[in-house]
Amino acid sequence: MSYFNVYKIIQELKIEFNESIDFSYRFYKKDGQIIAFIYLKSIIDQNLLSNSIYYPIQTFQQMFSFDDLKDKIIKCGDVKEVKFSDVVKEILDGKVVLITNFTKKILSVDLYKFPTRTPTEPPTSPVIQGPREGFVEDLQTNITLLRRRLKTKDLILKTLRVGSQTQTKVVIVYLKGVANKKIIEEVNKKISNIKTDGIIDAYYILSYLEDRPNSLFKQIGNSEKPDIISSKLLEGKVAIIVDNSPIVLTVPFILIEDLQNSNDYYTNHHYSSFVRIIRLLGLMVALISPGFYLALQIYHYNILPLNFLITIADTTQGLPFTPFLEILFIFFLFQILYEVSLRLPSYLGLATSVVGALILGDTGVKAGLISPPGVIIVALAKIALYTIPEQSSQITILQAIFIILGGSLGLAGIVAGMVYLLNYLNSIDSFGTPYLAPYSPRIEDDLKDGLLTHSVLDFKKRPKSFSPNKENRV
Amino acid sequence: MKENIKKIFHNPMLIVFILILIFFTPLSIYSPGENRNRGIVTAIGIDKNNQEIEISLLTFIPTANQTYKVKSSIISGKGTTVAEAVYDAQLQMGRKIGLAHAKTTIVNEELLSEDVSMYVDYLSRVASLPENTVFISTNNTAKELLETSQSLENELGLKLEQLVGFNANNIYVTDTSLEAFYKGYFSEVKSSIIGSISLEESDKGSNQEETNVDDSKENSSSNKKISNKGEAVLLKDGKMVAKLNIDQLNGINLLNTRALNQIITIDNVKLNDDLYTLNYRIKNKNIFSNTNFENDIPIYTIQLKLGMELVEINGLHDAIKMNTEFSEINEEIQNKLDIEIKKQFTNALNVLKENKTDVLGINEKFFRENRIMYLKYIENLENIDDFLDKVNFKLNVIIQPD
Amino acid sequence: MIDKKISVRQAGILIIICLMANKILLLPSLMFQQIKSDSIFAIILMFSLDLIFLPIFLKLKSLYPNEKLIEIISKKMSKIVAKIIYIIFAIYFIFKVLLVFSITYVYFKQQIYQDEFLWLIIISCLPVINHALTVGLRAFSRTIELLFSIVIVGFILCLAFSLFTEMSMPILFVSDIKSFFSSIYKHAFSFGDYLFLFVIIDKIDIKKGDSKKLYEYSIFGMILVILLFIIFFSKYQVTAFMHNNALADILVFSIQFNAIGRLDIIAMLTIMSITLFQLEIFAYGFCDSFINLFPKLNKFVVILFFDLLFALLYYFSIGKYEILVNTSHYWSPMLGIFVNYVFPIICLIIIALSRRRKNERKY
Repeated sequence: MSYFNVYKIIQELKIEFNESIDFSYRFYKKDGQIIAFIYLKSIIDQNLLSNSIYYPIQTFQQMFSFDDLKDKIIKCGDVKEVKFSDVVKEILDGKVVLITNFTKKILSVDLYKFPTRTPTEPPTSPVIQGPREGFVEDLQTNITLLRRRLKTKDLILKTLRVGSQTQTKVVIVYLKGVANKKIIEEVNKKISNIKTDGIIDAYYILSYLEDRPNSLFKQIGNSEKPDIISSKLLEGKVAIIVDNSPIVLTVPFILIEDLQNSNDYYTNHHYSSFVRIIRLLGLMVALISPGFYLALQIYHYNILPLNFLITIADTTQGLPFTPFLEILFIFFLFQILYEVSLRLPSYLGLATSVVGALILGDTGVKAGLISPPGVIIVALAKIALYTIPEQSSQITILQAIFIILGGSLGLAGIVAGMVYLLNYLNSIDSFGTPYLAPYSPRIEDDLKDGLLTHSVLDFKKRPKSFSPNKENRV
Repeated sequence: MKENIKKIFHNPMLIVFILILIFFTPLSIYSPGENRNRGIVTAIGIDKNNQEIEISLLTFIPTANQTYKVKSSIISGKGTTVAEAVYDAQLQMGRKIGLAHAKTTIVNEELLSEDVSMYVDYLSRVASLPENTVFISTNNTAKELLETSQSLENELGLKLEQLVGFNANNIYVTDTSLEAFYKGYFSEVKSSIIGSISLEESDKGSNQEETNVDDSKENSSSNKKISNKGEAVLLKDGKMVAKLNIDQLNGINLLNTRALNQIITIDNVKLNDDLYTLNYRIKNKNIFSNTNFENDIPIYTIQLKLGMELVEINGLHDAIKMNTEFSEINEEIQNKLDIEIKKQFTNALNVLKENKTDVLGINEKFFRENRIMYLKYIENLENIDDFLDKVNFKLNVIIQPD
Repeated sequence: MIDKKISVRQAGILIIICLMANKILLLPSLMFQQIKSDSIFAIILMFSLDLIFLPIFLKLKSLYPNEKLIEIISKKMSKIVAKIIYIIFAIYFIFKVLLVFSITYVYFKQQIYQDEFLWLIIISCLPVINHALTVGLRAFSRTIELLFSIVIVGFILCLAFSLFTEMSMPILFVSDIKSFFSSIYKHAFSFGDYLFLFVIIDKIDIKKGDSKKLYEYSIFGMILVILLFIIFFSKYQVTAFMHNNALADILVFSIQFNAIGRLDIIAMLTIMSITLFQLEIFAYGFCDSFINLFPKLNKFVVILFFDLLFALLYYFSIGKYEILVNTSHYWSPMLGIFVNYVFPIICLIIIALSRRRKNERKY
């Protein structure tokens, strides 16, 4: 009695997979019993297939029954029974599907394997002292990395599939009883509502999660490091891991998180306070210094100290550009150099730095195209940008805006721009958390992890900003 | 297209930004900047010659070099009023003038024969000359002083403002800024004091004149030199009434705690059976003053506690052998110093009394401390200026070795 | 305008910013022209009168924790009274906006920009104000809260740096009582900034024991302003009338630190941000009163109306700079008197009425 016409099914599947070259199948026939193995050879472990499935079946002496097959013969991976309608999906997930002619049940064995990286230190957030592991593209590895750090049954991992074509696994991670239920629900709802054909990377999800997707400012945190994500989970945040992406998202996000660096927690807290203040100063310098310089030059010569004014007047004398054009020129010059050096292979990097620094900068000054103070100011702003690399893209745009404001309106324009910017940032809520918390509104308890950090001993409570379910950590 | 326009209108700030880009940015892209639009003036001189006002501006001239040496030149304008003269100077310069960095304002003595406030008023109120600019006068023309100051800068690397600043810190002591002038000018007694720097014929210049006549004629200012005698000018109602020499100024400065380092010389002091001339320097100063009326006579009591240091001994024998640091101040020295100091103070006071200029703030002190009596007393006087004359000063000097 | 609530700390900070209004720029020299250094007493007196607002406000808040002022007045008195009071509020706030703007404009003209750039200042300020009005009270009070410490540090630095020169105690008790009070009457409009608290009475979240904070903040702000008055007068004495921008001018005439150059940049940035905050606050006061008068209007319509009114009034008063600056004329003392004296009495009546009602219920 045959339940399935195995050959026919394979023919049908072949057509369904458009005769793809990695679509494979094998038969095993013995005493009228036929077992067909169907899989995509590109994503399974073929060694494992022959050693743990094919070989035991060959050496099995009796007549096969489904239970034997499931419990006795196959000795690896997840073995489970699946419905016929799920066969295609199972194959796509890297499983070997066993169809036989002697039982109606279908078996699927998980032999999923594809080349992955080993966890290495991500280039975006290197640490001097501290863990160097980073997330990789493989979801399982990433979950393992988190599990290793959070050995609690309260760590909840909830899988959703997004993308009609890619069927990407998106895992929502949180600590039960710690994370705010409202935030979890909102994340769940937003991800379930995503309608798209494909999610290639975590950044695709990002825009769907943000309250203001058109905003310049990111409202979702991200990190490539499991230690950072674990500590954020402990604070009561919700993390989102996307398959095939080494970047893990966290919500809610507040701006000060970008001022915090994982290094801060692995060094003396006095030093980390100092570094955070420097970062904030760097941020301010990066934001307004070119605009400010321009405003002083165009409108407010009276504020400049006389000696500085004389230096500026001397060095800008005879330049072909007006101050505004000069700064814009240097600004775009630097930006072009930056883009070039980013894209160029590293062995050409030296060449660009020689061309950029020496030829364009030095000769530009000597040729009387640009003035040394202008170069210094813009270079300062451009370098200060990287005190907070996470925000560099936003600040670059803001720099350009402040250059235009400072140049066109003077100091009043810069102050107004600043107040406008803060008003705007204050109107953003990221999953119910004020964007500039804990400084505005001021949340006293959370200031411990603000600019002036306290020692880890003082972190007895979770930050109120993220409205966790349970405030006390212990 | 429609979508894009809709998008723009969805965000009003974008419209504002576009407005700024359209209306303001082109202007500023075109603008060469204030520092090139304006002549940056570092010193101003105002002269008056026969009803004509001449304003001289020591203007910084940007040169495309990287030596960071300030190159300035003097640009002058003439007119019947200061505003006209400034306008004329602007025409000469081809730029607007920027007075925000003017650290020195010089007026000549002829200008001081009238109320000077009406000349500087325009500059300070309209042309935004900062009120902390040092305000001094000169015996010659301000223009010449400015011209000479340039050669001073070339020879000594000394700027006029540094010279004046030294004076302000060590000689005039009371601020000699425009603001200080106004403070005195608007007070009840309407008297103020400003510094003065004179120009003199220099020997070197006259030598040159002999040898090379043509050259000196062309460059007439080079044979003058700045002579800083530490003089000051007393102003009443904005007009110059007297010129104080440095001794008189020191007498006034006795009542100023900030004024230190004055040298007081006493002659014929008997030490070890020989006569010496001793130079003492005031190292610290404590002043306690008090006002009261005794029998309807205003009395101003001053107790001057001076810490003195012996700095130099001149005499016939073995003066150098004496150790200045451990010298005692004996009774004789004390008496002589006392007399000398009192003499200085009286001299200075007499000048003030003669000119009815109360720059010491005597009136104010009485007003603060004995208001009722003072007002009553003033009522009987014809003029408030006569009060200084009526005050009985009691100076009590206590000298301590430092 | 439906806004989320603000914290007591934010309310306190808003009050400090309001208190500074024109008092840190023009008022010291204006008052000096009339009553010399006795302005110090005048301002202390006015501030202590202002402080009376606070207990009244807190009482009213405890009686009606979640109601708007207009609702309270219409319930206890009558709708017409409420409307009239709100009309006066709207006028008060729009003139306050004009006053602050014109004073700062003069300051900009004199010390920051070398030429007159009216449009430049308007296009810097007005969009920011409009944006603040659209994002609402909570957002902009958070901004003010964030920048508050910086602004106050700037303010204190101005005071501290100005101490580096010779100063003498101002001569006090020189004006007679009549001119003293007439000066207070003339400048009444410059005070009464607590009115803003009443307008946003329903939007402040006061927890138990928090009311003390409001006192602390207001007294801190008052002390700062009084200190500024004292330093200004002791620094300038007789020439105080010449210096229109008190906070900036006390810096100009102090010792210059060579490396830093002119220190008045601190004052400039401080004044610019304080001014923007004040404009935001007072504009919000206007729009809130206006929207309460016409509840059916859209928020954006009100903001547009504010812009138009502002532009019109400014256009007509720009030539008559004295009318705005010398607040001692025409309308302003009357408004000041209403805000400072009549309005508290109305509030007291309301409190008395509600108490009686409560007592009746008890028995």
